[in-house]
Amino acid sequence: MPEPQADPQSDVIERKVRIEAPPETVFQFFVDPKLYVRWKGRMAWLDPRPGGEYRVAINDKAVAKGEFVEVDPPHRVVFTWGWEGLEATPPGSSTVEVTLTPDGDATILHLVHRGLPVEAVGEHSHGWDHFLGRLVVAGSGGDPGPDPMAGA
Amino acid sequence: MEAVVRALAESHRREILRLVTDRELPAGHIASHFEVTGPAVSQHLRVLKEAGLVTERREGTRRLYRARPEGLMELRAYLESFWDDRLAILKQEAEKEGRKRARAAG
Repeated sequence: MPEPQADPQSDVIERKVRIEAPPETVFQFFVDPKLYVRWKGRMAWLDPRPGGEYRVAINDKAVAKGEFVEVDPPHRVVFTWGWEGLEATPPGSSTVEVTLTPDGDATILHLVHRGLPVEAVGEHSHGWDHFLGRLVVAGSGGDPGPDPMAGA
Repeated sequence: MEAVVRALAESHRREILRLVTDRELPAGHIASHFEVTGPAVSQHLRVLKEAGLVTERREGTRRLYRARPEGLMELRAYLESFWDDRLAILKQEAEKEGRKRARAAG
């Protein structure tokens, strides 16, 4: 994959969380729709292969859309990111890299989101904190409960 | 048309409809993409079927669903009638303006 070009108008979000499950399990939460919707989205359509599209309805108004770029179970998954109908951050306009590293019986998940316009970084940082928090619970076999972001 | 509008007024049903637009899928497969329970998805499918927006086909014990685009024709015609009216008014106004200018020039 070519390195994204340095763009003074964009910024990087980086997060690291520990999940009490092996990478093999955590990886499935990015490629299996049934598991995906346990932490993010009301509906997930995923075609997890390089070039395959995905579409995740977070709620009635927000639909995330993009393409899988790298699918390397259980180590790494890279996908483009964006929102249906949003001009500032359209589908495919930024890229999310997720790397899973075993840590004893657990997994260290490292997420890097590149290419967002600076004004969208705050909202997306908040979004990842919210959803990674849910993934930490769901990934280890817990129930994060209904997602307040999903709306009614 | 009321049943169609009511069926479309719920976001899960709109997502289900989109999912089966260009592919026929079994109910269980459809449910696997949603955070809501299987019975809730079955209920949504029933509403969509009764509104004529999806077709149901049985294959052994499975039920397969596919969107029925004809089901949207009446609603589409209704929505388009607004645009036709708007365009007719726009055309009238443009013609009036054209005549005014022609007179002013003449």
